[in-house]
Amino acid sequence: MPPTHTAQSEGPSGYREAVELEFAEATKRYPGADSPAVDGLSLTVPAGEICVFVGPSGCGKTTAMRMVNRMIDISSGDILVGGRSVKDRDVDELRREIGYVIQQIGLFPHRTIADNIATVPRLLGWDRPKINARVEELLDLIGLPQDMSKRYPAQLSGGQRQRVGVARALAADPPLMLMDEPFGAIDPINRERLQNEFLRLQAEIRKTIVFVTHDIDEAIKMGDRIAILQVGGKLAQYATPSEILLHPANEFVEDFVGADRALKRLALLRVSDIELGPSNGGPSIRDTALVRDALSDLLQHGALHGNVVDSGGRTVGGISMEALARLAKA
Amino acid sequence: MSATFAALGEFGDAISFIFSERENQRGSPVGGSHNLALLWEHLKLSAAAMGLAMAVALPLGLILGHTGRFSFLTISTSNVGRAVPSVALIALFVAFFPRSPEFLNVTLALALLAIPPILTNAYVGVRQTDRDAVDAARGMGLSGAQVIRQVELPLALPLIFGGIKTSTVNVIATATIAPLVGVVTLGDPLVAFSVYGREGQIGASIIVAVLAIAAEIGLSAVQRAVTPEGIKLERGPEGRARSRFGLTKRRIQTAP
Amino acid sequence: MILAQLQIRGEDDAGDSCVADNGFCPSWIADNWERYQDPFLEHLALTLISVAIGFVIAFGLALVAHRRRWLIPPITQITGILYTLPSVALFFLLLPLTGRGKTTAVIALVAYTLLIIFRNVITGLEGVPAEARDAGRGMGLTPRQLLWRVELPLALPAIMAGLRIAVTTTVGLTALVFLAGAGGLGEEIFNDMQFRSNVVVAGGLCVLLAVVLDLLVLAAQKLITPWTRKVAT
Repeated sequence: MPPTHTAQSEGPSGYREAVELEFAEATKRYPGADSPAVDGLSLTVPAGEICVFVGPSGCGKTTAMRMVNRMIDISSGDILVGGRSVKDRDVDELRREIGYVIQQIGLFPHRTIADNIATVPRLLGWDRPKINARVEELLDLIGLPQDMSKRYPAQLSGGQRQRVGVARALAADPPLMLMDEPFGAIDPINRERLQNEFLRLQAEIRKTIVFVTHDIDEAIKMGDRIAILQVGGKLAQYATPSEILLHPANEFVEDFVGADRALKRLALLRVSDIELGPSNGGPSIRDTALVRDALSDLLQHGALHGNVVDSGGRTVGGISMEALARLAKA
Repeated sequence: MSATFAALGEFGDAISFIFSERENQRGSPVGGSHNLALLWEHLKLSAAAMGLAMAVALPLGLILGHTGRFSFLTISTSNVGRAVPSVALIALFVAFFPRSPEFLNVTLALALLAIPPILTNAYVGVRQTDRDAVDAARGMGLSGAQVIRQVELPLALPLIFGGIKTSTVNVIATATIAPLVGVVTLGDPLVAFSVYGREGQIGASIIVAVLAIAAEIGLSAVQRAVTPEGIKLERGPEGRARSRFGLTKRRIQTAP
Repeated sequence: MILAQLQIRGEDDAGDSCVADNGFCPSWIADNWERYQDPFLEHLALTLISVAIGFVIAFGLALVAHRRRWLIPPITQITGILYTLPSVALFFLLLPLTGRGKTTAVIALVAYTLLIIFRNVITGLEGVPAEARDAGRGMGLTPRQLLWRVELPLALPAIMAGLRIAVTTTVGLTALVFLAGAGGLGEEIFNDMQFRSNVVVAGGLCVLLAVVLDLLVLAAQKLITPWTRKVAT
């Protein structure tokens, strides 16, 4: 019997309000281990934002994530989802309210795509028409044709399977999603595409998301905030990407973000985001280009100035090496 | 050359024993429809032993596989199980429970023989289900029982039926020696030469052989039928052919 | 019971209350130990001969099928039928051709081992990592050299695993060859199935033989595949 107090989405088109996620001195100690896997982690992820856990292997980022839906039990401290301690919740019920995506995807090979996506709605006891409508809607959302719904996972490409994994996690419209290296097993070109697709999706659905990766570039690209963890499960820095690139909290963070952090910072902005000077000629640069790509363009042409144009090809201003240097240093 | 003809002649007699009734040396009717009584007893004994073995081994194998505990014990059971001779096991029951009915004794002995393959296959079947699918299932909030029923069991079914098949064929074969302790199965003509004669020995052997092969073929069909479509697709055309010829069902045995 | 059963509880045991009560009698076992010696050796010999012949045939078939892959399904099916045939039935089906005795017994036992060994050799060869095969070819090994220097060594764990299964199963099946008039420990069990001491000793010897042979094959495997040993940590 489906528990009646389990929150359900208001229908296919209305998204459930995202929730705030708070780690309060959350610690994981494995018996027999010298140091904790996660050591007194405290941070708050505002509702509707993507928080990326990033760090070298062994830093406890996956452990920290898996404590949220209690795939791993918390040793001490607490984690609050929407203000409620996960420790007080019935574990299965808690997990049904949290979307869960892993690198290996873990689609059920014996079930069709539609059945895979319908897993949690079925557990929650939705009726059949509502489930069908939801599956259709999700296939649209992830950009898969409807006739895929009757296929089996073995008949899909890696990228398609990953999209289905995301759709399955979104099925019951959870206010919170956990994603463990979701694009880690995908080739670079498709990974880029999936990342962009996911950011577009997130702009629409506005979930609170914990996203685990070991790739700092992915972290900078995906995260509204980034939590950098270092070995021993200690939080090194928790800030927005540009803050981390501008002011690394310590040597470890500086090292981890890499020597090219100035360039990485330029990659966070688009040309239209910055203040443009008057045009002094030079190669044409689209206003929607990333500032880093604009810099690359200038270097390529050996030019000190660029001419910024909009979609109609009209000049909207100019960009200079000097301005870029100031920006990178800021 | 003449030996070959003689051989054919004896097989001819044996086939005639299968289909037509005759009198034995003691004047009682054997062969033909009288084989049906033996067949019935044979099937009854095999079914009782298999029912008992499955009732014990299937739930145990599923639960042990789900929890991942006692792996060494479970695998060892099947290795030791192979080494215990069927005739010794039957004799043990008869020697130590002389007052219990023979049918019960033999049923218990055959069930003990049948348990290891079923147990091991169920265990391995569950253990080798895609651990990522199980992790995802738990992460989505399936309870332990739901994980077993919705993920592990369907994915383990091909191996589980492989174990049932192995045991069934083995039990049918071993039920042949039940007459040694007084349970009159199709093995009776084999051990009671003076009652049934040589044509009886060979004739009943043919019936037992056909029965075993029919069980193997029938259960192989069941095994294919219970294999989820998505799994067949995963194996691809070559994988499908391999499973049909039994090349994959004992993957565990290749482990060093 | 039509097959002749010996009365192994002799006249001189009449005074032994343990034997009279059909108990488990260490003194009787000590006195009658020799009774089991010859059947034991017979059992051992039948097992080893059958597994050896079975290994040679199945291994040869597997090597042939490894080159001509289309042969794998038919060979698997034929050996599968032999594996499925109840060995007791096979003893009597062979009666018109080879009569009663050790030849019949060995043929039936060999028939049973073929599938086990064939399948494991094939599985082992298929399990050879493609990169190892590729590297071998890249270094200029001929197909024959590749087989003997790369593929077979890497397939050894699977092959030996098959051998272990074949050995233990054959020890168990050899306990039935008395039905074909070929002796073995099964005959001793059968001689007095009601006598506990006898059943335990003869049955126990079977299990012991299986375990010892299994461990010997395992030891041989560890010896010839040093790379599979776990590094002590």
